[in-house]
Amino acid sequence: MPELKSLPFTRIVATPMALDATIWPAEALAFRAANDEVLLLASSLPTIADPHAIILPDSGFVGVWLSAEALQAIFEQHCEWALPATRPVFVQGAVAGIAAKLWLEAERGLLIVPAAYGHDFAERTGLA
Amino acid sequence: MPVAFEAGDSVLVTLQRAGLHPNHGGCLCAAGDCPHCLATVNGVAYVRTCQTLAQPGMIVESFPTDDYPHLPPNTQRGPTVSARNLHCDVVVIGMGEAGQAAAAAATAAGKSVITLDDKAGQEVVGIYPELMVVARTDTGMLHIHAHDEVVVATGAAEIQPVAPGNHLRGIVTPRAATHLAAKGVALGRVVVVESGGAVNLSTSPALNIVAHRKGQVLQFEGLDTLKAVVIQDDNGLSQRIECDTAVVGLGFTPRDLLVRMAAGLKVRAVGDAAREADLPPCPNAGMVCSCSSVSAADLQRVWDQGFHEMELVKRATLAGTGPCQGVVCVPHMRSFLATRTAAADPSAMPDITRLSKVQAPFTARPVVRQLTLGEVAAGAHHHATPRTGLDAEHRRLGAVMDRIGGWWRPWHYGNPLAEYWAVREAVSIGDVSTLGKMIVSGPDTLAFLERLYPTKVSSIAAGRSRYVLILDERGYVMDDGLICKDSDTRYTLTFTSGGSSHAEMWLRDWAEGWNMDVRILNQTMSLGAINVTGPLATQLLQRAGLTQPYKFMQHGHASIANVPCRVYRLSFTGEVSYELHHPVDQSAKLWRTLMTLGADLGIRPHGLQTLLQLRLEKGHVIVGQDTDFDSTPRRIGMEWALRMDKVDFLGKPAIERTNKTVLDKQLVGFEMSAPATFEGANIMYEGEYVGYVTSSTHSPLLGKVVMLGWLKLVNGALPSEVMIDGRLARRVDVPFYDKEGGRARA
Amino acid sequence: MNEFQEQKINLTWREPKRSYDVVIVGGGGHGLAAAYYLATRHGITNVAVLERNYIGSGNSGRNTTIIRANYGIPESVKFYQRSVDLYQSLEAETDRWIMHKQKGLINIAHNEAGLRTERARAAVNVAFGSKTDFITSAEVKKLCPQIDLSGGGEYPVLGASYHHSGSTARHDRVVWAYAEGAMRRGVDVHQRISVTGMLKEGHKVTGVQTTAGPISAKVVMSAVGGQVTQLADMAGVRLPIRSHPLQAFVTNHYSLSFEPILASPALLFYVSQTARGEMLMGAEIDRQPSYSYGTGHHLLQTTSYRAITLLPFLRDLRILRQWTGVCDMSPDYSPIMGFTGVEGFVITSGWGTWGFKGIPASGEQMAELIATGKIPELIAPFALDRFARDRTMADRGSAGTH
Ligand SMILES: Cc1cc2nc3c(=O)[nH]c(=O)nc-3n(C[C@H](O)[C@H](O)[C@H](O)COP(=O)(O)OP(=O)(O)OC[C@H]3O[C@@H](n4cnc5c(N)ncnc54)[C@H](O)[C@@H]3O)c2cc1C
Repeated sequence: MPELKSLPFTRIVATPMALDATIWPAEALAFRAANDEVLLLASSLPTIADPHAIILPDSGFVGVWLSAEALQAIFEQHCEWALPATRPVFVQGAVAGIAAKLWLEAERGLLIVPAAYGHDFAERTGLA
Repeated sequence: MPVAFEAGDSVLVTLQRAGLHPNHGGCLCAAGDCPHCLATVNGVAYVRTCQTLAQPGMIVESFPTDDYPHLPPNTQRGPTVSARNLHCDVVVIGMGEAGQAAAAAATAAGKSVITLDDKAGQEVVGIYPELMVVARTDTGMLHIHAHDEVVVATGAAEIQPVAPGNHLRGIVTPRAATHLAAKGVALGRVVVVESGGAVNLSTSPALNIVAHRKGQVLQFEGLDTLKAVVIQDDNGLSQRIECDTAVVGLGFTPRDLLVRMAAGLKVRAVGDAAREADLPPCPNAGMVCSCSSVSAADLQRVWDQGFHEMELVKRATLAGTGPCQGVVCVPHMRSFLATRTAAADPSAMPDITRLSKVQAPFTARPVVRQLTLGEVAAGAHHHATPRTGLDAEHRRLGAVMDRIGGWWRPWHYGNPLAEYWAVREAVSIGDVSTLGKMIVSGPDTLAFLERLYPTKVSSIAAGRSRYVLILDERGYVMDDGLICKDSDTRYTLTFTSGGSSHAEMWLRDWAEGWNMDVRILNQTMSLGAINVTGPLATQLLQRAGLTQPYKFMQHGHASIANVPCRVYRLSFTGEVSYELHHPVDQSAKLWRTLMTLGADLGIRPHGLQTLLQLRLEKGHVIVGQDTDFDSTPRRIGMEWALRMDKVDFLGKPAIERTNKTVLDKQLVGFEMSAPATFEGANIMYEGEYVGYVTSSTHSPLLGKVVMLGWLKLVNGALPSEVMIDGRLARRVDVPFYDKEGGRARA
Repeated sequence: MNEFQEQKINLTWREPKRSYDVVIVGGGGHGLAAAYYLATRHGITNVAVLERNYIGSGNSGRNTTIIRANYGIPESVKFYQRSVDLYQSLEAETDRWIMHKQKGLINIAHNEAGLRTERARAAVNVAFGSKTDFITSAEVKKLCPQIDLSGGGEYPVLGASYHHSGSTARHDRVVWAYAEGAMRRGVDVHQRISVTGMLKEGHKVTGVQTTAGPISAKVVMSAVGGQVTQLADMAGVRLPIRSHPLQAFVTNHYSLSFEPILASPALLFYVSQTARGEMLMGAEIDRQPSYSYGTGHHLLQTTSYRAITLLPFLRDLRILRQWTGVCDMSPDYSPIMGFTGVEGFVITSGWGTWGFKGIPASGEQMAELIATGKIPELIAPFALDRFARDRTMADRGSAGTH
């Protein structure tokens, strides 16, 4: 089984307007975790049009890339909500009783939880 | 006694074929409606044998005759049952004609449909809010989430006869007769009685029907097993017919429990599940509810006692409170009450004038088909307890771990006294990663914090921190923490571990409510934090790379052991202390380097037990341990933390109001001689209870017991000497240790 | 014939009158007990109890029937101990079987904070005449052999408090014993009459408007549950109460072999075995305020899971039914009893998740208040104006959901 690993996010909190207007680097994964918050996986930082934005590296999340089938198996067992049909898509909700974030691409997906819950999450889902 | 079975046989069929009744008697429905085929199967009591497929080696036991089944004796843990979550637009329950039609219609309308049927091994247990259908199967539980609606097409249950002797073996419903005959069960001489319900057994040519009558059964005769039935026909003539099996048709009652317990949800009954219930004749004698052993005479008795409502009759007799959920007894109870109500004189019974003529069945309560706690628990977890980045480190060091303030934390590492002296005399590190940590940024930050906190935030200089009390609107102490100024528009706030889970919502709610232009970032789980404390703390940190000196309550950035840290000089222990906030994935590296660099300084990690002892010597209050819901700053002796001259802050009006009331109690310090008493011990004064101890420890350094506790004012004053644990204790001012605070500032 | 059927109670229903000395709104335990004590202790019998449904249809007929006095503050310990004592003598007094059984209540501690709470509880209980000991895990095992002291390796049992007078009684029978006792002495109890408004002269309450017409009264007492804020509103009284659903469930009937009442504040569940052999379990309230009687799956699921952690044998027991009550929660987890500031209108309320045990003492004390016009000492601390006076009865952690 693949393992949960620390993710090198940059966490950005800014006005929703500024986040809406931001042009993310082409190779970046920018997860809109809230109206005013983005979790960014990228090698470079874009300009954010908010002088008061909080932009900080954040190692507080762990995650794992899984195949669509592996994700499906985890979801069927551990998730009461339905996955959206569109791809790619970013969603959040409880998985195995823990607040999780999920980035779904056509063939695979990235499952993310706070590092503080990584131990319990791995134990519950069999992601050692 | 071993019995043979054929593939596809239910346990009931298997037993019947061997001439056995799964329980002691009673009419069989073979359709999962009634309680009469319940038995203990493989150690699990109350299994519906008609719904359970026979398996090789299965052990079936009847219940004891004079008691309920025994509780499982052992304390062994069985395997956990798994749950599968499925999603669709429409769930159809019951695959009879109506169910098939509903499923076909939904499919034709382009809906995704999941169908469930007990004959296919899916027993539906309940329909719950958010439209979740729960079903049990032999391989685990199904949790099916329906988007649009749930269609209940479960059909109708057959009404069972009530007459003396209806507890005997040999009585079956028409459908059961058909089913058993088709399965080749020998039913012997069969008498058919139509009591308001048509019975057509022509599809079962194997049956030896000796009589087919219309009328009422007056009596089922026999000792354990049916020998004869006495039937009264519609003309009032009665006749006794010998037989082995009686088949009685009384009509139907919809199987609508699932619908009735899902009131307010998008659930719809179709087919027979939506039909009107037939009302059988008023029961005059015989067993009405076999689950709770309630006879027709019992109904009459409680009626005479003044119980005239369906619910009250249920509660007084307990009819309908057993495993069949009232399916068998409710039609008869309704008929009984309708008949008695119609005959009653309203002037003698004024209460019945406000009742309907035919009362509705009593409230349907989940679950419909019973499942075990193990089955219902499928997919559940304990509340997840977060771990810090040092969790593995603590466990490796042999720490006793405890859930504290919602986190796993080290209580001690085996030698709390050594941990204590390491802090007081050398240097020690502690894991404080669990502190709440928030960044607030934006043009309104200062205005926002000024309104939120009772301190004068504008007087905090950049690079400095201040201790604050956090109040709610009612002026009660909710939490405490630090305000650290980063720049004019950016501050870092800390909260206690216990308070941190609420902190973000609290900040956001008020920011939104006051329409403040601020950004809020919760870093609680992103940053680890290590407290380096003790007289040698500065020396250790210099070794680890701290170049610039920090003043008390100053903060800044530094690389410590090559880990980027936010350094806060402060003190909770009473000694020189630095909190190092750092990326949580580097906690272990930082911790280990400090341990190595401090080895010759006598470094040891300290756990929470020691930390609580150290802070108590300093008289620091732990919100939640020393405080209660009604703790105002005045009551905990911390009015110095308020700036009442500020225009406004959260809780200020409430404090102005409560300050005018007479002070009734205060949190104060006490000393006495060893040994320490427990936290929670009573405080007595002149034989009267005047409060209790909230924190207590024996101070190794001071050689006496120091405590905090709530003390009532007696005749307007705080007693200065009290009894704790039967011993004399003196009220003293806090802190107990280093009153001037020179050590922390050194 | 099952021995638990009601055999003795006789309920006498009469025509409603247009005027009474006292009208009590709400035919739950609290309303009926007050009527009973007005009649038996003060000879006041020109009293009506108005119930919109049937008697005991509210939480008095839905609770998990736990009676205890192991609270965390002196005022509560004293009050509930009075109730515990009244319960103990209620069968003898009314000559009715309420199935009262002393079982002992174990409150388990799974961590240091829990140990602190249970030690403190025992200390304040003893100080105010209620018998509670702090006990070791080995003693827990003796009292409850079925327990897994390791808590499935997750929630180890570190110790507990043991409340000797923890007991249960059949909820319906308590309701009926009070109803019958009151009816026998001339009190009218009317079912299926809802109070829809207040009759007033200025600010003074002079009676109630009902679905069966107006009824005047010298004193109106609210003993309603569920929607008490609306009723109080009609009288011009604002109550600091929020209503939250609370659920419970029972298993089928099993041979009697589980002695005590066992509660785990950390795992948020408690369990006992009823006289009829059902394992009866309760849990926490729904965090979301609501008047909904709907029953959820999540609670059943997590409570079952938690219960199995401590009592693995529960795994194979079958669940019979689950149900919900709507609980009136006060901000400090203590009840509200007494005058309201509106003449002619008194109240007993805020019984939250803990009010079954309070029925006798609340009834007795409220009857005294109505009869004498003075606030009895035992309930003075629970007056409504305590919130404005900064004298809340804060009882952190000991209210529990039972
Ligand atoms: C699941 C559950 C478990 C519980 N477990 C325990 C326990 O173990 N121990 C314990 O001590 N407590 C427990 N409780 C709490 C306890 O049940 C209640 O606090 C107690 O029953 C309250 O009694 P009451 O008479 O005040 O209210 P109720 O019994 O609710 O009576 C109020 C009555 O007022 C009537 N009414 C409302 N509005 C009107 C109106 N406008 N006109 C006329 N009538 C009206 C209602 O129909 C109702 O019958 C539990 C509660 C629940 C829901």
